[in-house]
Amino acid sequence: MKILIVEDEKGLRESIEEYFMEAGNICETASSYPEAISKVNLYRYDCILLDITLPGGSGIDILKTIKENNHADGVLIISAKNSLDDRLQGLDLGADDYLVKPFHLSELKARVSAIIRRKTFNGSNLLQFNELAIDLLAKTVKANNQPIKLTRKEYALLLYFIANKGKVVSKNAIAEHLWGDGIDMANNFDFIYSHIKNLRKKMIEAGSNDYIQASYGMGYKFTDE
Amino acid sequence: MKLLARYNRVNLVTTIVVMLITGIIYYQAISLILTKQLDKDLAVEENEIFESVGLNHQLPQVFESNDQQITFTEAKRGSVTRHFINTVYRNKKDDDDRPRKHRHRHEEYESGRGLISSITVGTKYYQILIVESKVETEDLIQIIFAITAGLILLLLITLFVTNRLLLNRLWQPFYNLLKELRLFNVADSKDIPVVSTTIDEFEELNQAIISMSSRVKSDYKDLKTFTENASHELLTPIAVINSKLDTLIQTDNFSQQQSKLLNDLYSAVSRLTRLNQSLLLLVKIENRLLEGGQLINLRESVEEMLIQFEEIFQDKELKTSCELVDKELNASPYLVDVLLNNLLSNAIRHNHKGGEIRIKLTNEQLMIQNTGESDPLQNDQIFTRFHKSSGSEGSGLGLTISRQICENLGFTLQYNFEDGYHSFIITF
Repeated sequence: MKILIVEDEKGLRESIEEYFMEAGNICETASSYPEAISKVNLYRYDCILLDITLPGGSGIDILKTIKENNHADGVLIISAKNSLDDRLQGLDLGADDYLVKPFHLSELKARVSAIIRRKTFNGSNLLQFNELAIDLLAKTVKANNQPIKLTRKEYALLLYFIANKGKVVSKNAIAEHLWGDGIDMANNFDFIYSHIKNLRKKMIEAGSNDYIQASYGMGYKFTDE
Repeated sequence: MKLLARYNRVNLVTTIVVMLITGIIYYQAISLILTKQLDKDLAVEENEIFESVGLNHQLPQVFESNDQQITFTEAKRGSVTRHFINTVYRNKKDDDDRPRKHRHRHEEYESGRGLISSITVGTKYYQILIVESKVETEDLIQIIFAITAGLILLLLITLFVTNRLLLNRLWQPFYNLLKELRLFNVADSKDIPVVSTTIDEFEELNQAIISMSSRVKSDYKDLKTFTENASHELLTPIAVINSKLDTLIQTDNFSQQQSKLLNDLYSAVSRLTRLNQSLLLLVKIENRLLEGGQLINLRESVEEMLIQFEEIFQDKELKTSCELVDKELNASPYLVDVLLNNLLSNAIRHNHKGGEIRIKLTNEQLMIQNTGESDPLQNDQIFTRFHKSSGSEGSGLGLTISRQICENLGFTLQYNFEDGYHSFIITF
């Protein structure tokens, strides 16, 4: 997939680029409004990560340009402005999602994956990962056609893992993804462990491989390597 | 003491004192004039005696006349010097015309004025004593005094009444201002209104208050803007740290010590994030930027929240019991969410393993009770910013935010401790 990262903060831009850089992905970056607008006008992307406050202009105007030209690029706004109005304005203008800084890269990746999935699979709601088949509409999971009965949170967890496959996902990121960032149970992520344990058990019982690895007590990694 | 009462008291006391002094002076002056008049009468009588003696060469016959007595006594020659005295006039008649108090059976003593003089008739030397009653003059003085006293009383009453009426009305703008000041809220957008008055002092006061309040408000606003900007500016570096950490853990092979350090870093960054978000949220709530109200069924909100927290209840082996009724609220769903989340998070965080959480929603209130510390919390402190129990990993803003939300929604949030249960009660 082809992604454009529009973000003026160098550190953040580089991190995102590095995180998204993997086989089959093309990442381009823009650090200012003119740079972004010229790229948006020249090339098409599967998803554009768009910061609102940019040197030389507002990300909102870039979004307007994209929509005025009827480009089908997915747009995910990343902004420090967590105001309801901004969020609504962005979504009203046709942004696909809105993520507030600071965020976990794994969360960003999951959101971007969801946008691209919606954009590219067009009608087909099936997500395939090796022997795992996930029906995104019915929210059911099968391993080798053997249904796996998952709870709502386990299902969300699995999707999150697949979107971040091959990456170590921190426990903080998982907790925030499943319970929202309102959850304030600092340092107490034991309850995540039981969720992951259950998910692994159900997948293995259904005949799937064990893809989930614990990673040094910091998080988990979903990988088929 | 009220200004009016104070003013009246001072006013009355000074009026009475001044009136008393003038009354005394008045009395003295009148009695001096009247005494002079009497003295003149006495001198006229003396003259008559002198003339009569000069004419007849003998002492005149003495008539007991009204209010006048003349007595002659033989005296040693040259022993008498002429002078006036204050004396007693003996009235032998029982005269009914006299006012009652002067009457004293057959003989009655009245204050009198006397003139002692001397005369030589032939070879004999006589002392003359002419006494005249002062009753008439005293009566006059009394009447004058009564009229004066009456006037004083009338004056005092008029002063008192007019002061009361006038001052109450005059001070009305002041009381209006006072009321406005009491209602003044620095976070409120409402300004202190201009009080209509023609009194310069009150107008000045009003202007001063208005300019002061707008200054205070703008300072407060600056401060809030600063908090907001500072928090905003912090978001980007935090985002960078967060993303760098996420990137860092992708590089393989950490020792146990390194992964522990990374975990600590993660939780510190996550606390920083939450703290920052809480500060931003608090500013927004205080600025009433999140007002968007819609009809919410609180029962559903609570139930959703409980599902959200289910795993954590299980993990901490917390027993929950709910008594919920359908209760509709007109509020911002986001704020209600934050409020419930804060209170429930607290109930979980400050609970012990195997503890209990009880939630009771009635039409009047929502009560969230939890087991936990065996001692009550300090009621006045828990709602202040950054107050935390020792060992709490929270931001210290949760209850401040909760109370602020309740205030914005017109509810009250209270804490109490009973039978080992910490209760937070929202009264609608």
